[in-house]
Amino acid sequence: MEEKGRIGIPKALMFYRYFPLWKIFFEELGWRVIVSNGLGKRGRLIYFEDSCLPMKLLVTHSMDLKDRADHLFLPRLVSLHRSYIMCPKFRGAPDIVRLATEGTVSILDETIDLRMREHSMLQSFLRTGKRLGADEKEGKRAFQKAERLFTNFQKGWEDRINQLPTRQFFEIDIPTPLPPPPSPSPVKGGGELMESPSFLDVKPVEDGCRGEKPLFRVAFVGHPYNLFDTDVNKDVLSFAKSLGMRIITPEGLSEKEIDAQVSDLSKEIYWSSGREIVGSLFHFLSGGVDGVVFLTSFKCGIDALLQEFVRRRLKVRGGSSIPLLILSLDEHSGREGLTTRLEAFRDVMEERKRSNA
Amino acid sequence: MKVTFPHLGTMHIFCKAIAETSGIPYIVPPETSRKTFTLGVQHSNECICLPFKIILGNFIEALKMGADTIVMVGSGPPCRLGLYDLVQKVILEDMGLRYRWLTIPPRLTWQAIWKNYEETKELKKELSWKNILLFPYGLRMGWKKMMACEALEKLAMKVRPREVKKGETQRQLKKALSWVDEARSLRTLNEGLERGRVLIQETEQDPYRTPLKIAIVGELYTVMDPHINRGVEQKLGELGAEVTRTSWFSTHILRSLRKNKADQASERIRFFEASKAYLGYDVGAECNLSIGEAILRSQEGYDGVVHLMPFACMPETTASGILTRVGKDWDIPILTLILDEQEIEGRIQTLLEAFVEMLQWKRKAA
Ligand code: SF4
Ligand code: SF4
Repeated sequence: MEEKGRIGIPKALMFYRYFPLWKIFFEELGWRVIVSNGLGKRGRLIYFEDSCLPMKLLVTHSMDLKDRADHLFLPRLVSLHRSYIMCPKFRGAPDIVRLATEGTVSILDETIDLRMREHSMLQSFLRTGKRLGADEKEGKRAFQKAERLFTNFQKGWEDRINQLPTRQFFEIDIPTPLPPPPSPSPVKGGGELMESPSFLDVKPVEDGCRGEKPLFRVAFVGHPYNLFDTDVNKDVLSFAKSLGMRIITPEGLSEKEIDAQVSDLSKEIYWSSGREIVGSLFHFLSGGVDGVVFLTSFKCGIDALLQEFVRRRLKVRGGSSIPLLILSLDEHSGREGLTTRLEAFRDVMEERKRSNA
Repeated sequence: MKVTFPHLGTMHIFCKAIAETSGIPYIVPPETSRKTFTLGVQHSNECICLPFKIILGNFIEALKMGADTIVMVGSGPPCRLGLYDLVQKVILEDMGLRYRWLTIPPRLTWQAIWKNYEETKELKKELSWKNILLFPYGLRMGWKKMMACEALEKLAMKVRPREVKKGETQRQLKKALSWVDEARSLRTLNEGLERGRVLIQETEQDPYRTPLKIAIVGELYTVMDPHINRGVEQKLGELGAEVTRTSWFSTHILRSLRKNKADQASERIRFFEASKAYLGYDVGAECNLSIGEAILRSQEGYDGVVHLMPFACMPETTASGILTRVGKDWDIPILTLILDEQEIEGRIQTLLEAFVEMLQWKRKAA
């Protein structure tokens, strides 16, 4: 199909959950999808407002794309759950980017608010498609295909994050290697989009756990961008893997498991991400893992408040025997500080295992 | 039973009047002080909202003085305010403080307060019929007192920039507010209000001044509480600026009652509409209003806008980014002050002085 133009998707915020879906949708409509480069070694953060690091990264990545893309895709994410909402900052994010890019690039910012039928994922994407000249039928077909492949993609998540280098997590063209970590024998499986030869380059050992059996099961909890954006967390996941940790994330929990932990609170936590964080922290701290790491963004309003809540509630309930590490991330946190703390954490888990044995 | 409530500007006068008139024992937390800040900070973490910390500090101080029932107006999404209680409760519990918590539903109708909230069940047992019967009168008294306080404060905002002896208006205002506070009947309240008006107007004034006009916008606790904002309103007034703000206790109560026809509420609608040029969605809390008000004030000939926000405040962080552009587009100087628990009073004074000086130059140059 002839390429219609380029859709720029900033590698920030909810990119780190939905990118494969977004990408397939636009490609199905005949657009090429380009993503921004990471900050890189000397990457400069662009300050538009003194916000949390993930928001600053959104602006920085959008600036990187503005001259290369015909449109920026920045849906207004009001709610991604049928009853709960996103952080208020997401509501103004497209406007912030519009001001920062001085209106030089078109922004596809249709609202997604799953609490309302007219702003369902499908409706929002149909509207986006319409702005790109696709009729309802084309839009629907593209969305349904994207949704189907995305659901498939999410299935092997735990293996994926444990066996691929972080930068490949969201590249849907790269199939999830089959467990156990394979020797160079050919990799099987994967979706319909396997044409790309890039899967041959997959070297799970590169920054993974070197093929040894991991020693610890560790839950990493936080907003998806805190978990998977290496500009936020200095690729703490690959370091964890090199320390022999098998990584578990809330993505693998069902809504029921999360609800079980938070439904009896005196007040309902109405942010979907906040709910997921609190629910999965309590869930993992009640068993099944050797340790829990909570990755927070400094200056994240939600993290600050809920972190206090989790700490105190654990305390008044007599604590948990599973070690919890809270890592607060911002543009000033260096890799060294993080790795030192993670190493110390590994030692704590080791000690605990030994004394329990 | 001894009820207590947080501080927020002159709100304690309102709460006290309700409790007193209905004969319910109460404790007013000590005036917010350095100690309150310290307590609130000690028992929370850096990036939690400053209002959260101050309210927590108020509660801790009041509980230690013997209060046992916290009364707090509830709130909801999208911002953090709606979850303050969830977190404050567990903090107090962890500190080993005993309390009961009574949330006044955000839609404030007095019947709603007595509805089947588990919290009120216990309380009702402790309240006499007299308390309950007198409660509507208490509300009326509280409301009247609040309106009186606001009238006096608004008057003081006009007089302050014209005062000859610096600080005199503030002294008179304090005296006038105490008369309102002490009134026990509607008659003495009206008298107190009238005397207070006269007293403030009697402040020696220079009629030849044409003060600068500055609007204060931003997050509501920081705008409304002089302890949280370190007296920005008074400081600006004493530097010679006539200050306006649209966040008042009554504004927010009327808003929760959905009495949108009230003047102040319709003003909010105007601000909200104006913000649409920059923001395509309601971000929450006061964000859109801060932006809209700044735009409209510039059209109304104001000299400047002071934007107040607590450190790491989510909606106002978004607002502050946009306000930078609004200031340029509409040629109105906007000063954003980020408030935290540090000792920043001196710095705020310096910033305000520089800001006011700049506005004066700008006015002369025009
Ligand atoms: S949830 Fe936290 S980190 Fe994410 S955008 Fe909001 S404030 Fe920033
Ligand atoms: S508006 Fe600001 S201060 Fe108020 S709850 Fe939200 S983040 Fe906290």
